[in-house]
Amino acid sequence: MVDIGLFTQIVINGLLLGGIYVTIGVGFSLAFGVLEVVDFAVGEYVMVGAFMGAVLAPLFGAEGVFVIPIVLVVFFAVGALIQPLIHHVTTGDRPHPLLMGLVFTFGLATFLRGSVLTIFGPNSQDVPSSLLTGGIEVPGLGTFPVVRTVTAVFGVTGLAVFMYYLYRTRGGMAIRAIAEDRTNARLMGININRYQSIAYGAYAALTGSAGVFIGMTFNASPGMGLQYTAFAFFMVVLAGMGYLPGVIVAGIVLGLTQSFTAVYISGNAVLLVLFAIIYVVLLVSPAGILGKGEWAT
Amino acid sequence: MSDVTGGGSGADDAADSDDAAGADFDGAQRTGDVPTLSATDVEAGYDQHQVLHGITFESRDGVTCIFGPNGSGKSTFLKTMNGIVPVWDGTITYGDVDLTDEKPEDIVTHGIATLPQGGGIFASLSVEENLNVGAFTVDDADAIAERKAEVLEVFPALEDKLDQKARELSGGQQMMVSLGRAMMTGADTFLLDEPSAGLAPRLVDDAFGLIERLVDRGAQVILIEQNVRAALRLADYVYILAEGEVQFHGPPEDLSEEDELMELYLGL
Repeated sequence: MVDIGLFTQIVINGLLLGGIYVTIGVGFSLAFGVLEVVDFAVGEYVMVGAFMGAVLAPLFGAEGVFVIPIVLVVFFAVGALIQPLIHHVTTGDRPHPLLMGLVFTFGLATFLRGSVLTIFGPNSQDVPSSLLTGGIEVPGLGTFPVVRTVTAVFGVTGLAVFMYYLYRTRGGMAIRAIAEDRTNARLMGININRYQSIAYGAYAALTGSAGVFIGMTFNASPGMGLQYTAFAFFMVVLAGMGYLPGVIVAGIVLGLTQSFTAVYISGNAVLLVLFAIIYVVLLVSPAGILGKGEWAT
Repeated sequence: MSDVTGGGSGADDAADSDDAAGADFDGAQRTGDVPTLSATDVEAGYDQHQVLHGITFESRDGVTCIFGPNGSGKSTFLKTMNGIVPVWDGTITYGDVDLTDEKPEDIVTHGIATLPQGGGIFASLSVEENLNVGAFTVDDADAIAERKAEVLEVFPALEDKLDQKARELSGGQQMMVSLGRAMMTGADTFLLDEPSAGLAPRLVDDAFGLIERLVDRGAQVILIEQNVRAALRLADYVYILAEGEVQFHGPPEDLSEEDELMELYLGL
């Protein structure tokens, strides 16, 4: 017997969670498209973002949400500075550029995780969010927890701004042209270093601030990153490599799957279920659930 | 913005008004005014492997063809001129501008546009976006609008397709997008890397027809082509490359007398 009230509550929680995952997945997918790098560091950006919330907010005696502007600026700057290094190791005379990119970002991920572990120790920390407690009752539906709702609103807003930039501005057009063919983009006068830096910086900024919200929803712990790297892979494979609209669907599927698995099976089984889904999708439709990925034939 | 393209900056508009008559494309009526793209003793290659062993070259009015067997270095040479392949030794100049160490994204601003092999259009972008990418280095919105109108006048078939993704177009229309995009840069010199490659045979004549139109508008065209017979009909000057060196250069009339050369390098 399925409890309808519980069921709708799980759907609400899953959708709200999906909103923030989408922002991570879209950035990750864009980094893959523009820089041709599978960014292993994505989950560690989430982790570092969460820790910035946990450490900086008490320092100012403020809420986690108020450090978002700082996180955005710091992550954008760091991302824009890291991009030339990624570009350097994935281009030129090097054999296996994709592997070089993996090794580089895997090293970056290990470095970030190790640094946070060394400085702050292994314990998880809370990101202050006392203003965002409780929930909003919606009769007939269920409760919208305030933290998750604000998180989802941020996710959807961040995504909208990002998509607007990508599809409605000159710079976004340049980034999409680069994603399709770097050399031809250069021949049209596009400074690829500049726009690749903007793209990677924007992705890092979105991912880091998503980390603050995830930290508020759960908590910040040095080991949390790997899970979000796995989530990013899940979304991009499910969406079809390089197909941005698919990432939105995949992020929502991810949120719902996590939510349902945690309630009906176990919180520990989430990754198991996700990868079971991935294997089935890869076997049945390698170009993603919508069949429109780069590998679509 | 090209300094040889009159209609570009607002301040020049008045001075140019008598010579930019009608809806003619920027480069029109300017035969003879286009700077010479020249290479002197250019050496280049990939990794440790040298491909070009001292190429000296000069673009001429009309179509300058570069022929040569596979692996002769003609495509590599074209890429030294647009900046994709770095020059090891020697110089490349455009008029009095030294391009030797310039990057591709800067070279296009001097008025040199490339049509990469296969057209190089951005398939996931709309046709209009492809044209806008061509004008990426142009800041003057009026100049962009003017050139777009001009491109649509030359290729009216694109008018209804502006909002479609470029990948949805036919091969011939994609060729038009590629040429139109190059025209949007405002270039006076066009580097064409085997425009007929990969085109259906019935489209090859169309492609060469489009190249003729560029020339009629006063542009200089540097053309690499495997389809030697078809390209010779357009050629005003011919270079033959083999093993990274210039084996012959001269007007096409001279070439027909060099039977040995034709057979040896061009298989004619």
